[in-house]
Amino acid sequence: MVRTAIPVIVAFITGAAMTVAFFLNEKTPFVGQISEQLLDWLIIIGGFTLLLGVVSILRVSWQSVQRRREGWVYKIATIVSVLVMAIPSLLPVSWSPLFGRFEGSIYDWLFMNLQSPMMATMFATLAFYIASAAYRAFRARTPEATLLLITATLVMFWRVPIGEALLNHLPGDVPALVNKYVMNGVNLAVQRGIIIGAALGASAMSLRIILGIERTYMGRG
Amino acid sequence: MNFWERFEKMDRRWVYLMVGITVFIPFLIPMKFPISVSPEARAFFNAVDSLPDSSTVMLVFDYYPSTIAECEPMTIAGARHLFSKNCKIITLSNIPYGGPSMAESITRRIAKEYGKEYGKDFVNLGYKYGYVSVLKGMGVSIESIFPTDNHGTPLSQLPLMNSVKNYEQIKFIFEVADNATADYWVSIVNAGYSVPMGIGCTAVMAPKCYAYVGAKQIVGLLGGMKGAAEYEILLNKPGTAFRGMDIQSLVHFLIIGLVLLGNIGFFITKKGKKKASS
Repeated sequence: MVRTAIPVIVAFITGAAMTVAFFLNEKTPFVGQISEQLLDWLIIIGGFTLLLGVVSILRVSWQSVQRRREGWVYKIATIVSVLVMAIPSLLPVSWSPLFGRFEGSIYDWLFMNLQSPMMATMFATLAFYIASAAYRAFRARTPEATLLLITATLVMFWRVPIGEALLNHLPGDVPALVNKYVMNGVNLAVQRGIIIGAALGASAMSLRIILGIERTYMGRG
Repeated sequence: MNFWERFEKMDRRWVYLMVGITVFIPFLIPMKFPISVSPEARAFFNAVDSLPDSSTVMLVFDYYPSTIAECEPMTIAGARHLFSKNCKIITLSNIPYGGPSMAESITRRIAKEYGKEYGKDFVNLGYKYGYVSVLKGMGVSIESIFPTDNHGTPLSQLPLMNSVKNYEQIKFIFEVADNATADYWVSIVNAGYSVPMGIGCTAVMAPKCYAYVGAKQIVGLLGGMKGAAEYEILLNKPGTAFRGMDIQSLVHFLIIGLVLLGNIGFFITKKGKKKASS
């Protein structure tokens, strides 16, 4: 009982305070100060969750290495990477210019020369998969799929200079029409619908949490 | 098995090879296709260009290193434009994964080109957890959220930050993002504090951001590498995005070609199967 009641009470008080504060000025006495305090708490608690994440990944990876689970060698790579990036970045720069997170530090060098290119490479490989998937899956099987195919082809032409130059050879200002009717027309209307729908959904869910109806965030229904 | 049937069942590695070759061609033969500027990019550029000299602007690095090909040219062009107008730049990031490092490296490099000084002309606030609290909290006091800059220097020791307390002193927000933080800048900062802003984002995010342009919540939009290239053209400083458009043009054409051929093959094969069954 206590295990569920306390989180529900905390969620209700904090949620209600932030909701009231949203509609009032931050300078409003009491409510404004409470909301400011809660925002500070959120940042502090969030900092600890990051730390918890680091500890958790190290613990889980170390357990896998100890028990020689499948892929344990990769877990060693994870542990070494976390420690090599984290430890020098946490040590004070006054000890050595290699420490800290700034230009010339170990952290900066690893980030700029290993992590950043690796992440960019991973993302770039998407181009290969998208090309392959588009060629296999983009078929005009139904009228809806045909409409999507035509629109996607037009937008793909419009988004690149050589395509736009070709579209300009067609009668009428096709690039301007794509911008007006596809991007600022159909797309805009659909996106607004999605944004409003998502916002209403988020509001409903927040209200359920504040009122204690939704309790799955505590790990039980 | 005829040609179309074989084409339909083509090994995906051939597609990868075609994409690979297409990506390399512009490296060997630069094509420099002419780039036209979209109304959204022009509006963004004009909004920055019309800022009074020495205005304070937030340049936000809300993107991961995975999207540097699209987002970095925007931040570089933005920093160049702002420094050329003697604007004061405050950088920050809601991304723990490299945002502050990228902000540090780019702004310092561009600042050198324009002879700008850290602390006086630009400041890097770094990263702080919890973008909702950070964006909301900066409306009251930037110093309460970021007591120190990315280097650990107290904000009170930085001349630029002596005159900047909260959003009231910020004339424009130049947000470059590859994730949903852009939505929070619009819904919290623009809606709550009426700070004009423009968004530079990845191409996949751009369709969503058109809704913000239409509602005049953002003054303009740079969508993907094309948007970055448009800004570079307007700034008259072609950079990596401008060069990247050659590659993107050819790859788009390859994909369109494959999709069209795939559909032709699909219909021919379907017709053939119908004939055979009748």
